[in-house]
Amino acid sequence: MFDPILQQILAIARDAWAFMAGLLIVVALLGGLYFVLQGTAGMAFGGSRMTSMAIIGVVGLVIIVLFAFLFLPQVGEMLKNFQPAAPF
Amino acid sequence: MNEAASLVLAFLREAWLALAGAFLAFVLLAGIAQVLRVSSASMLGANLWVWESVSALLSIVMIGLFAFLGIPQIVSALQSSLPGAGGCGPISELGTFASALIGGLAALRMLKATFISVLSASIGGASSFSHALIECAEAIFGMILASAAIPLAAWFLGTC
Repeated sequence: MFDPILQQILAIARDAWAFMAGLLIVVALLGGLYFVLQGTAGMAFGGSRMTSMAIIGVVGLVIIVLFAFLFLPQVGEMLKNFQPAAPF
Repeated sequence: MNEAASLVLAFLREAWLALAGAFLAFVLLAGIAQVLRVSSASMLGANLWVWESVSALLSIVMIGLFAFLGIPQIVSALQSSLPGAGGCGPISELGTFASALIGGLAALRMLKATFISVLSASIGGASSFSHALIECAEAIFGMILASAAIPLAAWFLGTC
């Protein structure tokens, strides 16, 4: 009875996932560009702290994106395995 | 009465399956929404926002584990404590029907509470873990109350 509704919800959720994944890539690319700009500006006028902060920022962004695309699907698989039947 | 109970329980079981499927989808959406927040906050240099999102992500995983591992165990434990009415006649049948219905409704209510908190996290809001726990506690308290009320009602109405 509820299966057609669930299929509709899952279709919307899949679209939302694809949208958010795309948005995450765009934000990460913009962030990467910003940090590269910050790093080159720091190098240009000898701001070593600015450059090192920019490098750390880029590494952090890469870690966040990898976390989203590798860890979250694993969490989903794990929860899917735990999905219980009705306990009543 | 038994047929009516099995019909209602089958309806509730289907609702449980649909809600669990939607819950799983929204856990993942909430997760990616919080990661998106973390990435944009780290780009802006908003430390507090990053920590808020990291804690929201952790609470989403906690809610997911609680919903899929904790709620079925709680419902099974409480349902075994609910007495099917002793005695005979319509009171007994009504008691059995009521205890089955109370268990099903409480399970669905607890899953719905966790679903709503994950839904709010998936649209970028704070994941209201405490609200979900409060609603679960209310459902548990209701079941405990019902486990005392059913034998009392049977006693008042008279059992054979």
